[in-house]
Amino acid sequence: MSNPNFDYYARAKQEHGHDHDHDQDDHAPVNEHDNGPPSDYEIMSRAMQELLEEKGLITAEQVRRRMELFEEEFPYRGSKVIARAWADPAFRQRLLSDGRAACAEMGVMLESERLIAVENTPAVHNVIVCTLCSCYPRALLGMPPTWYKSRNYRSRVVFEPRAVLREFGTVLPDHVTVRVHDSNADMRYVVIPMRPEGTEGWSEEQLAEILTRDALVGVTVPSARR
Amino acid sequence: MSDRPLNKGPQDIGGEPAGLIDTTDHGMRFWERQANAFRSTVQANGITCTDELRRAAEDLGDEYARLQYFEITTRAMRTVLLEKGIFTEDELKAKMAEIHARFNVPDEMESPLKKKVR
Amino acid sequence: MAGARRDRLSFKSSYTPAPEHRYDVGDRVVVKRAFPPGHRRTPYYIRGKQGVIERICGAFPNPEELAYGFSGKPEKTLYRVRFPQQHVWPRYAGPAHDIIEMEIFEHWLEPASAESPAVMGQTP
Repeated sequence: MSNPNFDYYARAKQEHGHDHDHDQDDHAPVNEHDNGPPSDYEIMSRAMQELLEEKGLITAEQVRRRMELFEEEFPYRGSKVIARAWADPAFRQRLLSDGRAACAEMGVMLESERLIAVENTPAVHNVIVCTLCSCYPRALLGMPPTWYKSRNYRSRVVFEPRAVLREFGTVLPDHVTVRVHDSNADMRYVVIPMRPEGTEGWSEEQLAEILTRDALVGVTVPSARR
Repeated sequence: MSDRPLNKGPQDIGGEPAGLIDTTDHGMRFWERQANAFRSTVQANGITCTDELRRAAEDLGDEYARLQYFEITTRAMRTVLLEKGIFTEDELKAKMAEIHARFNVPDEMESPLKKKVR
Repeated sequence: MAGARRDRLSFKSSYTPAPEHRYDVGDRVVVKRAFPPGHRRTPYYIRGKQGVIERICGAFPNPEELAYGFSGKPEKTLYRVRFPQQHVWPRYAGPAHDIIEMEIFEHWLEPASAESPAVMGQTP
């Protein structure tokens, strides 16, 4: 049965014709360079998906909807929530007490995430990892970046966090405690970075713009330059 | 099996020496985004859970270190769905062959995109 | 199926009650120095290490059972435990006040005795 969604040329045209602003956007870039025949793994994944669709266990629409959520919705929520924590000290406290409930207050309905927010202070810098796989608050931040899932990050950030942070351009003085969180069971984490000087009076929208994904994982710190 | 310490799974790498981190986010290919959505849908529909998928990934043993992230997750999904009898190996092979055939490009219709890649 | 999913995700708090928790915030605990096969969510590098209970997360189904298709019930209490990095890594290069925290299930924890060394035994 011919499936137009799976036509190699149609898909390639769709990819190349697609309008992307991802140069300006620090959220996960779309890798458009899918030229060439699919790998066995791509075929395997697609085969499993089609079999489950044929057996009525999932629908193509469900998969499509999930793709949409991951691309268009999830990546933009974290910066909004943390911007509110910056702007509203009482909200910040509620976010620190119960991350999931605080997000819900703002209409950000997480999925399975049991969110813990950890705040950076002049004395403490937080950084998140999942050494065992790639646990990450996906419904708050979108898909994790490739470096977060990499073996080198997973293995090294727990035992040499300061060296790892330097690779991201982040240098912390010795008097600051580095606090690593290995996200290994049911909880998921987001960092509340310190709000930089020069952002006084900014709106939440303006604050959200400087709250990059990397800062919410703790490998960088936000800067007031936009 | 490689000589890892007693019962240390291939995923349990916290603290192991490793090289510099590629700090650029390379994003995801289309098929990876779709595979991710597929995995998410399968869990949402209660067919399997994160824990089973993690365990199946860990059971890849020595292959785990050699495979890319979405290759691992695809293999894990295959293991779990076979275990649950959702499909058989023969069904999967047949479907893969069918999909592979859809991508076959006859010589006289060589893709202009392929030419660019070379 | 859609209804089941909504129920599964409808919980409001990050935390669940754990009325029978064995440990309290501030208790000194040691991670079991055990190396069983199979799916575990206690990282190898933390086994045998001593830390302090940072918070109680709640009671959750045991992932070691969920991984094999079992219900994971009765649920086990999950804690966040804080460890000084210098006690986790023999050659930790950072300052003594750096810490690492992670979630450990109750059955992986033992109370630290007053005389517990920071690191118990050799890790294989």
